[in-house]
Amino acid sequence: MNAIHDGARPGPERYLHDDPAAGVFDVHRDVYRDPALFELEMRYVFERHWVFLAHETQVPKPLDYLATWIGRQPVLLHRDDKGKLSAFLNVCPHKGAAVCQSESGNRKFHVCPYHGWTFDARGNCVLVKDRAQGAYPAHFEQADTRLPPLARFGNYRGFLFGSLNPDVPPLEEHLSGISAFLDMIVDQSEHGAEVIPGRSYYTFDANWKMQLENCLDAYHLTSTHPSFMNIAASRASGGSSFRNIDIADFVDPAIPSGSYTFANGHAAIWIHTANPEVRPLYRQYDALKARVGAERADMMLKTINFTVFPNLQFSCNACIQMRVMRPLAVDRTEMRSYCVGPQGEPAEARKLRIHQFEDFFNPTGLATPDDSRVYESVQAGLRARSAPAAGLGHLRGLGQVIQGPDAFAKEIGITPLTSSSGRSDVQDETVFHGSYREWARRIKAGLASEVPA
Amino acid sequence: MSPDQALATGSALLYRQGRLLDERRWQDWLDLFTEDCQYWVPAWVSEQQQTQDPDREVSLIYYDLRSRLADRVWRVQSGTSVASDPMPRTCHAVSNVQVDTAGDERIELFACFRVDYHWRAKSDAFFGHYQHTLRREGDAWRIARQKISVLNDYIPTLLDFYLV
Repeated sequence: MNAIHDGARPGPERYLHDDPAAGVFDVHRDVYRDPALFELEMRYVFERHWVFLAHETQVPKPLDYLATWIGRQPVLLHRDDKGKLSAFLNVCPHKGAAVCQSESGNRKFHVCPYHGWTFDARGNCVLVKDRAQGAYPAHFEQADTRLPPLARFGNYRGFLFGSLNPDVPPLEEHLSGISAFLDMIVDQSEHGAEVIPGRSYYTFDANWKMQLENCLDAYHLTSTHPSFMNIAASRASGGSSFRNIDIADFVDPAIPSGSYTFANGHAAIWIHTANPEVRPLYRQYDALKARVGAERADMMLKTINFTVFPNLQFSCNACIQMRVMRPLAVDRTEMRSYCVGPQGEPAEARKLRIHQFEDFFNPTGLATPDDSRVYESVQAGLRARSAPAAGLGHLRGLGQVIQGPDAFAKEIGITPLTSSSGRSDVQDETVFHGSYREWARRIKAGLASEVPA
Repeated sequence: MSPDQALATGSALLYRQGRLLDERRWQDWLDLFTEDCQYWVPAWVSEQQQTQDPDREVSLIYYDLRSRLADRVWRVQSGTSVASDPMPRTCHAVSNVQVDTAGDERIELFACFRVDYHWRAKSDAFFGHYQHTLRREGDAWRIARQKISVLNDYIPTLLDFYLV
């Protein structure tokens, strides 16, 4: 039985009342607290579509491997001795053991710890222990003994994605719209981007969509992060040699900004950076401008946060954070957080980037812990099932959102489905709409595809 | 300085540090450090490998000035950080203190720590190894370098200076 069929309105329409012309965009609070809905979104939002796996610089050398996930399912990435990457499920075809026990490393073979079946970096089974003595039937000889390859595996300029379902559009098509923002990270160096060693894994006791929204939520900055703002202000006035972004600059309504939703659930916000000189990239501005042009160089210096639906986000403010969401339960989420930088960056700029990243992000920074605690507060508050089922959290900016690209989007050549631009103090919430529309579309399509028992 | 004297001096300072953190005597805790202290909580590159170079790899926390540490102390008592209110109750246990270097101006120590903490009706803990360099400043010994290797780095919600 699906909870989604229980109510007056059948299907995902019950959870999303989407009528912007009438000034309505209501998200039912069960999407954050109903375990049956969580099961549906793992099955239909994550496990039937493209999901981000890792960046290729996390497996830089021949025979490097990395364990990751699509939804709830364990995935292995492995680079073979020729440098070719493969991706498969981390499950032995024999008894079902995970053949790889560690999160990353370098090895030629995975040997299943249970009965010793051995697999190479392409996932091929190279040894069934004592096969000749096994008196196996013909059925066994015809069986597929590989580690199950992902149905689709793609590499967009170093960003690796996989799908368990073969019936998905090509990766480039899935990313169209948001790929311009990935390009702006990659093109900061002629050698591309890299994940800087030193990762951070953490959890919060709240639904993953709190994070999905918060990355693009300009409205929370002044109320959730006043401690960070104060520290930034005191550094600026005290003449500290260490500087980071200053959120206070974003509150000035005169500062131009914009937010966009794209096809397939992706979304992005940008805001002009008042103090670009604090950014490590600024130190290479002249060379950057000469290589990519003034318009793109200036765009790279804006503060840009974006979501590659459903599980990848970037916060590009002073440094670049890449975060990967892994929902564990309806009220529990694992985060993997990485610092990203241009390859070949000068040592001083790299050092600044790393320390800016540590300053703001991660469960050990001066801002992220406040975000994570707020998500947990929301999850706690949502136990109030007697409160109205629809929140009021997706309505800011609805009076100014337009269909299609705004002038700035046309200028930089992106093709959003909706645009909201103008005064930055609108602190737009329509930027979340696209992800919920895609969420509902996928669940609806998933439910429709199930053959009734 | 003899190794026994260094052990007594170093152990007393580490125990005092734990107590000051547990009692939230933040300014007294900051006073344990030299102005140019290095405060370093490395991250992990993989399950077995820790970061080695704080300027080329990402740490969980890295400072090379006491004033940066003071920012962090200011934040938790400012009343403006939801993550710091309420504060967990903490219990620092420091053990296995060993002297690696016993000099008249410098002592290097290795120790184990476990910090149990309780908040929101549940208990958790961080544990790992300390490596300290103490420097003599007049009559006092201060912490010139504190490296905290957190071994359980799958972090529930947050980790801050008062939890390690």
